[in-house]
Amino acid sequence: MSKRFARGFISCASVIAMVIAATVPRGAHAVPAYARQTGQACVACHVSFPELTPYGRNFKLSGYTIGVRQSIPLALMAQAGVTNVKNNKDDQGSAIVPKTSKLELSAASLFLAGKVNDNIGGFVQWTYGNINVNDAGAIVGHSGIDNTDIRVVGRIENDDKTDTRWLYGATLHNNPTAQDVWNSTPAFGFPFTAAPNGIGPAAATTVDGGLAQQVAGVGGYVFWNRTIYAELTGYRTADGAFSALRAGQDTHTPGGVARLKGTNPYARLAYNREWGAHSLMLGTYGLIVERYPDNTLPNTPTDRFTDVAIDGQYQYITDPHTFTVQATYIHEKQNYHASYPASLDGNPIGAGPTPENASDRLGTTKFKASYYYEHMYGSTLAYFSTRGNVDMGLYAPGSVNGSNTGSPNSTGYIVEFSYTPIQYLRLMLQYTAYTKFNGGTNNYDGSGRNARDNNTLFLNAWVAF
Amino acid sequence: MYKCIQVAFALFLQWGLLPPVGAAAATPAADAAEKLATQVCVSCHGAGGNSISPMFPTLAAQQPLYVVAQIKAFRGQTRGEPEAHDYMLGMATLIDDATAEALAQYFAHQPAPPGTPGESVVVARGKQLYEGGVPDRGIAACASCHGVTASGMSIFPRLAGQHAAYVTKQLRAIQSKLRASPVMHGIIKDLKPDEMNALAAFVQSLD
Repeated sequence: MSKRFARGFISCASVIAMVIAATVPRGAHAVPAYARQTGQACVACHVSFPELTPYGRNFKLSGYTIGVRQSIPLALMAQAGVTNVKNNKDDQGSAIVPKTSKLELSAASLFLAGKVNDNIGGFVQWTYGNINVNDAGAIVGHSGIDNTDIRVVGRIENDDKTDTRWLYGATLHNNPTAQDVWNSTPAFGFPFTAAPNGIGPAAATTVDGGLAQQVAGVGGYVFWNRTIYAELTGYRTADGAFSALRAGQDTHTPGGVARLKGTNPYARLAYNREWGAHSLMLGTYGLIVERYPDNTLPNTPTDRFTDVAIDGQYQYITDPHTFTVQATYIHEKQNYHASYPASLDGNPIGAGPTPENASDRLGTTKFKASYYYEHMYGSTLAYFSTRGNVDMGLYAPGSVNGSNTGSPNSTGYIVEFSYTPIQYLRLMLQYTAYTKFNGGTNNYDGSGRNARDNNTLFLNAWVAF
Repeated sequence: MYKCIQVAFALFLQWGLLPPVGAAAATPAADAAEKLATQVCVSCHGAGGNSISPMFPTLAAQQPLYVVAQIKAFRGQTRGEPEAHDYMLGMATLIDDATAEALAQYFAHQPAPPGTPGESVVVARGKQLYEGGVPDRGIAACASCHGVTASGMSIFPRLAGQHAAYVTKQLRAIQSKLRASPVMHGIIKDLKPDEMNALAAFVQSLD
């Protein structure tokens, strides 16, 4: 299960540096106090956290090793907000999601982040989520590991000693695309934070958060001449020696966590170009996953999910204007080699829902454009759409989360305004609106609920120190 | 497949710990400076100090005394414009005096950037100001310190080929005293915004 509130923000040890730098009075000669890992302000690496600038991408690809190692490489972040769902009552009159319309702590995270030496660095994020519903239906806090990325890197200069010709590295991480440096891929893609108690569509492709904090990814990448990026990564279920990478997940209940067979490949290719104040990326990425229908039964056949995607990003970064655009299209082919025959036989495997078809297709489109003024005032407009073929088994009628037509189609847009008065506080107002939800606009679930009933307004304060 | 990944991981580990290929600098400080320049500085200031984005100045062929002075100014926070604090304060604390000298020599020896042509009327006005100043407002000719070809001398920086947007921003920072530069402040305190733009366009057009 993906942790929506945990997506989006990565803080390196320089966060502490900025806070120290911002609070220590001018003229202080305490060089060690300033000598945190990079000592730079957030804006050096981030357009508006967590979206990365070209320098920020270089910092991440360099294994987070720029600067001086910190003795206490810790950082904290916390989010609190108010969620308002347009119609939070189901057809029986019961509240659908908890703790709406009042100020609530969403989540708090602790980061261990920064460089070990000039070639090794990374981050480990641990998150406490305040609004989780457990099996008994009670609202409890829950903590577990969040995005994690540890790297070993190397560099080869060009012949005339003016630039790094080859920047290469290996990464160990626990969420497909968390290792990517462009914000057009899912893990650090928009929305960077969302209501922890919102209502989301039923269908999503596997690469779009489906394996977050459930897998161990071991991969290698090269970035040639700041122009071509190529990566190959293998994902395995995060068990055995890698169990820490999914700490906090429910591994005992069918449907609790994904279980993959063997090593599942991911590849990524990107073309990067920078000129003047502009940067552009055009790329493609793909993932093929063999997944057991029941994560507690690793001896059955597997279903196969094949994701192929294209993406692009454009940024124009100047003072005082910044304009950025990201887009991606993900196509997924779902082959239910295991689930479909089993359900035909009358012996369905797994917690369900079980598919009605031997194979299905799903396609997700995401687009987002942002404008920031003086790194302080921000506005974003995003569009999202997931479409696929009808499958009454996967998308059956059911109050709120079902589909009256068996269709996964959902479409909507997000409008977001943000204000960052000081670099470690971001205030946000975000509105998510659905024009189509689980296959319909009106009475999409068969119980009378309309897509717009799920529209969500989220007012959020995001603090990092 | 998994064994392959393990082997590849071990190889990366080994390669990553080797020193950069072709490092042939004479002194430890020069070596450290070259490494810093090609691995860190280049991210913003461009390959060989040829900056791509006007947010960051070109350092190629810059006067070494000026570069050293600026690194010290970032460390000592006498350059108080926001970017100096946001980007360069932390960077400068990583650079000791010997490395600053070596970095300055590294950039001084990089080939000078080509000029970028601008609007001819604006550039002509800028040339007029650069070579003649504005005597009745007490604004000395820039050429007298920055050189006839704007390649700078001693502690006065090279301006030729520099991003116009960056030059304008610095003129404003000096005029408002956000950037402490008493000599420059005295000269340009009455310079008008359109005159700054013209001067910036002119020096950007020079090779």
